[in-house]
Amino acid sequence: MSPRVCPSCGARYSYELERCTFCDTELVDTESESGVVLAVTEVSVPSVGHEDTPYWCALLETNDGGTLIVKLGRSVLVGQHVTVGVPDEAERIVVGVLGTGLMGKGLVELLLSCGYDVVWVARSQASMDTAREKLTERLSRVMDEGELLERYRRLNAGIDMSALRRCDLVIEAIVEELEAKKSWLRTAEKAMRSDAVLATNTSGLPLDELACVLERPERFGCLHFFNPATRMRLVEVSVPDTTSAATLERLEAFSRALGKVPVTVSSRPAFVVNRVLMPLINEAVRSLEEKAAPAEQIDEAIRLGLNHPMGPLELADLIGIDVIVDIMDNLVSRTQDANYAPRPMLRQMVEQGHLGRKTRRGFYDYSAPRA
Amino acid sequence: MPQGYVLGVGKTRFGPTSKSLPSLAQEAILAALKDAGLEIGDIDAFIVANYLGGPNEGRLHLNAVVAGLMPGLNLPGWRVEAACASGGVAVHQALLALSRYERVLVVGVERMSGIPGMQLTRNIGMAGDLDLDQSAGLNFPASYALVAQRHMQAYGTTTRDLELISLKNHDNARLNPLAHFYHKTVTQADIDAGAMVASPLRLFDCCPVSDGAAAAVLSAEPRDRRSVPVLGSALSTDAISLSQRSTHTSFAAARTAASNAYRQAGVTARDVDFAEVHDCFTIAEVVAMEDLALCDPGEATRLIREGVTARDGELPINASGGLKAGGHAIGATGVGQVYEVVQQLRGEAGGRQLGKARIGLTHNVGGVGGTCAVHIMGRPDES
Repeated sequence: MSPRVCPSCGARYSYELERCTFCDTELVDTESESGVVLAVTEVSVPSVGHEDTPYWCALLETNDGGTLIVKLGRSVLVGQHVTVGVPDEAERIVVGVLGTGLMGKGLVELLLSCGYDVVWVARSQASMDTAREKLTERLSRVMDEGELLERYRRLNAGIDMSALRRCDLVIEAIVEELEAKKSWLRTAEKAMRSDAVLATNTSGLPLDELACVLERPERFGCLHFFNPATRMRLVEVSVPDTTSAATLERLEAFSRALGKVPVTVSSRPAFVVNRVLMPLINEAVRSLEEKAAPAEQIDEAIRLGLNHPMGPLELADLIGIDVIVDIMDNLVSRTQDANYAPRPMLRQMVEQGHLGRKTRRGFYDYSAPRA
Repeated sequence: MPQGYVLGVGKTRFGPTSKSLPSLAQEAILAALKDAGLEIGDIDAFIVANYLGGPNEGRLHLNAVVAGLMPGLNLPGWRVEAACASGGVAVHQALLALSRYERVLVVGVERMSGIPGMQLTRNIGMAGDLDLDQSAGLNFPASYALVAQRHMQAYGTTTRDLELISLKNHDNARLNPLAHFYHKTVTQADIDAGAMVASPLRLFDCCPVSDGAAAAVLSAEPRDRRSVPVLGSALSTDAISLSQRSTHTSFAAARTAASNAYRQAGVTARDVDFAEVHDCFTIAEVVAMEDLALCDPGEATRLIREGVTARDGELPINASGGLKAGGHAIGATGVGQVYEVVQQLRGEAGGRQLGKARIGLTHNVGGVGGTCAVHIMGRPDES
């Protein structure tokens, strides 16, 4: 936010005010695009909103004679020239998103909130229309009409893959099926510029099998976001052997620019989080099958005993039972370890269409509003 | 002509406790009433000073909470919030209110313990601007760290100077049974082992977060020979963020409040025998001495090195232990400073009684100098 000054009396304000308190004149923006460091402190104590330490707070004298406090991810020296207000990555690159499922919608919401230009491609116009409606509902919870319009000017949504030509980075977030992903990734790559990076949001399909269908495997990797993408801070970054170091670096930097924390993991089945989570959910289901306790109590035991914010069964409902069964089946086939096999109750729930929150029924009943 | 008289003061221990906010407030109020030789029925209005009751505990509407400590009285009462200067601002308001009410009770109260660290750091940081400071990660220690960096550049102040302030105030607190660190001896080794908080400020440059309450009863007329005259009371403000100021080694709000309070009291800085200043961080004590004109800009560190500000020096600063070691129960702090000065002026400060205590001053700052309240008090028998 650049300071505003009164063209009549020279009073200076740091807020987005319209008029001068002294002479009621209309204020004008000042340009403060760079500054000299007057003082800098390395902050070692985290706080809500600034969880990652250390970071640096610098007091800058701007080129228009004002002062400004900025947060930096690196140390600077007093007297050093620091450029501020430079368009960050969000203003420089265009990001593509493939898919209108839970994660596709979440990613578009996240990207638009961060100020990115987004190209969103769906399989059908009908699914895009539904997804856009849902997106508007979500964004309008935190934005007014004007802001919403401004964001939508940055969104190009449709079913035409050729729009991906504008993108510097494309994230594929379609259904978690190997053949479907292969085909979409291949089509997307053909539409993309040769300098652009392609990422899949798979939670555990073999990356080398996906990479081998591509013409530029060195520009391909995995960004595994967690649901809800706007709130979960982790991104598991993983790349097959064919990926270049520069691509890995870009994927990590992009995650950080979104305010996320990238953790780079080897491209083993289900990476780290789901590899640990799936057996936990499976054992919780086994406990339910064996009538150890009702679902509510199993969840409560895990919440309190392991200090998890959600129990495994309510989490399974949130993720989707069908998604969980897919991941577990994948784990079995890729590790040849039958211990990962989904419990019979999970399969039965899929057969009955009780897929969790999205079908309003899973381990819990979501059909009635909760008291 | 004094602005009013302090008839009585009371204070709880500052430091962690399981006592609730109403219980702490009541403890201080009862102590102040007892000290004044009054009963709650003798009070005509009250002011509550508190900073974080809302964010920390979900407790707001505190004037009505305090009204619950005096059921049926239905007194006029209100709450003041000016970050860490809430207490000093409340005392200033109480003096103004004496034109309407005969006896005004001020109670400052705060509860800080039991709040997770990251949340508490954020909440305390609300004393900085949301857009200009908080969103840039400038928490409270970081703000004062920038002030320290600027002061070091301008005047050659060193971390050793800051350590001397910490050692002095911890030493003083060992004589104050109501101090947060009454039971803790702090040595150079402790200071050396302290973790970095926001460079150059380390753990022992920072005041603790304390629970506690302090109260005072004020009146336009003295009640007895222990009534302490308030000679000067001044309040001044400044834009909230360091980024809105041209000077970062001094607070205009403090300089203005000090000069107005001196003028009102008909004294100069040279007449001040001792002061309780707002040392939320060690560097803040340096800035306070200079803003109060107790020395020239850049000279405070010399006085500290020479022991002038020690308990037995010519100009004792923070004989109570200050915020640094006496504790910082934010909303109560400004009232707690008045408690200390009144005790000293009456000659009732026990083991930490100062030799020469005729004119005493309190200096209470909100945020990084966005608010400052200064009070100057004199000896009871000379009014």
